[in-house]
Amino acid sequence: MTRAAFADGAARGDGPAGAEHEVAIRLRGLVQGYGGAPVLAGLDLDVGAGRVVALHGPNGAGKTTLLRLLGTRLRPAAGTATVHGFDVVREAHEVRARVASLPVFGGAYGALSGRENLRLAAALRGLAPEVVDVAGLLDRVGLTRAGDHLVRAYSSGMRKRLALARLLLTDAPVWLLDEPYAALDEDGQALVDTLVADARREGRTVLLASHDLPRSRGTADAIVEVAGGRLRVVAHLGEGARS
Amino acid sequence: MNDLRAVLWIARKDLLQEARSKAVTVATVFFSAVTLGVLAFAFGQNPDLMRTGAMGALWVALAFAGVISAAQSWQADLEDGALEALLGWPLPRAAVYVGKLLANWLLMAALGVLLLPIAGGLYGADLGPSAGWLVGIVVAGTLGFALIAVFYAGLTANLRARESLLPVLMFPVVVPILLAAVRASGAIVGSDDLELAAAWLRLLVGFDLVYAVVCTTLFRFVVEA
Amino acid sequence: MTDATAPLRRPRWMTIYWVAVGPMFAIAAYLGLVASPRDVNQGDLIRIMYAHVSVAWIGFVAVGLTALFGALYLWRGKRGDDVRSAASAEMGLLFSALTIVGGMTYSKPTLNTFWTWDAKLTLTAIMVALMVGYFVVRGLIDDPVRRGRVSAVVAIVAAASLPFNYLAAEWFRTLHPAKSVALDGSGVTMDGTMLGVLLFTTVVAGLIYLGFMLERVRLGRIEAELEEARTRGAVRTVAPEGVVRV
Repeated sequence: MTRAAFADGAARGDGPAGAEHEVAIRLRGLVQGYGGAPVLAGLDLDVGAGRVVALHGPNGAGKTTLLRLLGTRLRPAAGTATVHGFDVVREAHEVRARVASLPVFGGAYGALSGRENLRLAAALRGLAPEVVDVAGLLDRVGLTRAGDHLVRAYSSGMRKRLALARLLLTDAPVWLLDEPYAALDEDGQALVDTLVADARREGRTVLLASHDLPRSRGTADAIVEVAGGRLRVVAHLGEGARS
Repeated sequence: MNDLRAVLWIARKDLLQEARSKAVTVATVFFSAVTLGVLAFAFGQNPDLMRTGAMGALWVALAFAGVISAAQSWQADLEDGALEALLGWPLPRAAVYVGKLLANWLLMAALGVLLLPIAGGLYGADLGPSAGWLVGIVVAGTLGFALIAVFYAGLTANLRARESLLPVLMFPVVVPILLAAVRASGAIVGSDDLELAAAWLRLLVGFDLVYAVVCTTLFRFVVEA
Repeated sequence: MTDATAPLRRPRWMTIYWVAVGPMFAIAAYLGLVASPRDVNQGDLIRIMYAHVSVAWIGFVAVGLTALFGALYLWRGKRGDDVRSAASAEMGLLFSALTIVGGMTYSKPTLNTFWTWDAKLTLTAIMVALMVGYFVVRGLIDDPVRRGRVSAVVAIVAAASLPFNYLAAEWFRTLHPAKSVALDGSGVTMDGTMLGVLLFTTVVAGLIYLGFMLERVRLGRIEAELEEARTRGAVRTVAPEGVVRV
């Protein structure tokens, strides 16, 4: 798959298909945070559709803030953010339909089993029960045996795996992954790499926040550093640079 | 249609959680039993006072239990960021509210019906020939109470000092509910005055209707970023 | 109350406004305390009514307007509506508190108790509790937009409860033997002069409300401006590296 320069026009597409020249995520003058120094101090960013971009930076740099903002869970103090042309504030519902998030926390109900959590997520995302292969998803993330156990009894790695399964429920064209490698064992981290590689092949746009720079180098097309409330491109990685 | 499905899934989720943890049931049943007992002591063994105060004690017990129930119901959503994840999905925010409301209402109404004969027995008050009305009053009263409690519990869930803030915010709003419910059930138990009970019941139903619309409409401003 | 850019300097007409309201207040006081007749039954005590009832009415208006401006904020999202809503809430709290003081002042000599469960007085006490809740919520939220929205919601829910609170308190009272005298003088035929004086004092109370609103909204605008300037000040507006494209 080739990635040419991206056209600088308002892009409003629905799916990953034929989206190579689209801008999937666009930030303009984006500010977040109140009182004192803002967490994000005016970001201008275009992420082309189908790109895998790793956000790198120290704790508190604003990676999670940016991902939550794109996931419509935070509102910019100033500036705009759009996902496939839809404003994260004014058209939040449209954005939500196009975004799947992997939160840094588990995000599942402890009193329900892994399987029940997936069914709930599917139903609330408006998916018909017959199109969702819950057993298959559990198998994919290695939770087949723990599927009927309550999430309360899960380890943090298992919670992460369940969150990954939830990510795979939908065919959202944009993935927002917050520390996907954290809490996972070698196996789990390899699973994340595989899922991201699959997502790239399917043309999804992936924004991935991670401390693990070497690991991100292996999966991302570009690495952007978030520091001091600003963005800086660390590396554009071609097809060959990835192993 | 999809929205209705979402409402039912949320309600089902809350009830399933409750069926497993029984956190709300244990806390509210125990707490309301203690409240009824303490108030019985406060009335000081005066049988007349006990009889007339029976329904008042019942609704005080229900009100305190209702606060616990509503706060507890959001607690599970806050754990491990489950609500945070859920709100990132394309479902109407009102569906979350209505779903949780249904679950809370069901639990509160069941508790109220359970407490009716207990309060009657404990306070020596004969529920009277029109005890069926009492069930209707409990259903309408707990709906009004749950409408406000679930709404404000959701509002305070993300604020500091939420435990102390919830009663401060909600009790002035639910005063008419409590007054109307106490008066309506008192009219049944004390004097079997159906006309008076009906007047108060109308106030309850009016409150329920107005707040069902107000709270459902406004809820998105409570949770939206 | 137009949405002009921050009027940092206090306009001269505000002073003129107060200079005009001042004498009207003096006239109201004279009418209420001296010119109006003594009541047949209550004697000079009726004079408390002129201050008490007018303040109570304006208190209700203030709380109603808090909800109305709140609803406007939810609808249009203009910062000015939130500022007006909060300003009116402060007035609502102040006037309700004064209403309770007035009610107690009247209640002590007539009924020999500081508190009666009169429907309107009970309602006012609930209003004070609702407004206190409103300000507690405001104080807990840093993000100005979220603060505006949530407090607007609280104001609307609170205002919607007032008719029910009133009905409940009124009915509740009527089921008791009449222990209390209605504190608004309803049921008492009012002398024409008395009614005229009451209307005049109400107008003056309304003008005082309006004056405080204008002052408070002006200050609120400046506060909002400052808050926004702080956020802006911490942001470098032009990205030195331009748009990052990946």
